[in-house]
Amino acid sequence: MEESFVVSITGQIESCEFSRHDELYCKYCFMFGSDWVVTSGLEEGISQVSRKTNDERSLVIWNLPLDISLKSTNPYGWPRLVVCVYGLDAFGNDVVRGYGMCHVPLRLGSHFRRLPMFVPVSASQLQKFTAWLTGRRPEYIDPRILGLGEGRETTRVSSEGYTNVSFNVMRKNMSQLGYQVGPSTEARTVVPMERITSMGVLNGEMANMSLH
Amino acid sequence: MAEVHIIGQIIGGRSFPSKSIFCRWGIWAGSGWKLIEGLKEGQTQVDSPVLDDISFWCHPIDVHFAVKSLQGWPKLHLQVYHLDEFGRIEIFGYGFIHIPSSPGVHEISCLTWRPAAASLLQKLRRFFLGGGPYLRNPDLVLSSAERYRLRTESMGEVYVELGVILRNFQTFGVEV
Repeated sequence: MEESFVVSITGQIESCEFSRHDELYCKYCFMFGSDWVVTSGLEEGISQVSRKTNDERSLVIWNLPLDISLKSTNPYGWPRLVVCVYGLDAFGNDVVRGYGMCHVPLRLGSHFRRLPMFVPVSASQLQKFTAWLTGRRPEYIDPRILGLGEGRETTRVSSEGYTNVSFNVMRKNMSQLGYQVGPSTEARTVVPMERITSMGVLNGEMANMSLH
Repeated sequence: MAEVHIIGQIIGGRSFPSKSIFCRWGIWAGSGWKLIEGLKEGQTQVDSPVLDDISFWCHPIDVHFAVKSLQGWPKLHLQVYHLDEFGRIEIFGYGFIHIPSSPGVHEISCLTWRPAAASLLQKLRRFFLGGGPYLRNPDLVLSSAERYRLRTESMGEVYVELGVILRNFQTFGVEV
């Protein structure tokens, strides 16, 4: 297997922000293509149930570690992280509060991601009513659908919060195999200032970008 | 043969007249480009955000091309639609971006437009009933040849994050 490269990911699911919900826990799983193999670490995990902070941040802090190494011969199926946040409703049932998804960053180094979290909503008024009556909200049978490019086109969702995730990414052997993952020194990308500020909410990483 | 991987996400859209929107997307590439793996078109979920003014789609893109010629560098074209409470869809915007040529991660905002209602009557219809003119042939979005005939209105923007990985371009003497 000399022909393979390694991507090593460390990081943590730091916290989440849901204005309407409390006492939450999360499940995460990594998804990747068929050429990818886990060499060490866990590809799934569940956090503790955590209560909100009492200050204006009102964060639910998990501090849940992510640590996985994968190897592959092909960047297709680049690993992605799927996060599902659950909470308890008034009757003690587990109810999903949000799903989120992001790719593991392609760039080397430390990254911070703020994943938008969304829940599926009922398609019709009747379903809405039965959901309210039985306390069973719509949810994905298999949240892995989030990491796939198809099968989501019929779903209606409502985004209600964010999950904060940090990543550290290391790679091995990619350039030896002829892959160029970062820009060459000569190429230059100029992004207008206002674009960056309008997208700043999406990507905490961009705050660290230097502007000239 | 050189290879190109495009890995990223259609993050979401904002500044559209309504927040309940979804997006149909597709990647077009020239004849020298062969799709090896991955989906080159799709449709996102419909998001009606309660928190922010961005409708999030978080739709993954992961495609793998084998490249014979630099002509026909791939483009991502987007069509944003509004889904209303009666289950009808209405066009909210067309747009395209070229896939960035330099390897690395790119955060891109794609600005969109749609055909404008030509007459006052059409304007009123669009205001009260929805609907209105749309492109019969969406390929027009990708070409500059026949745009001059259109009268359009400016719509919101779509945020896209694309990572580009190139392989063996240097062996063929291509500088990017």
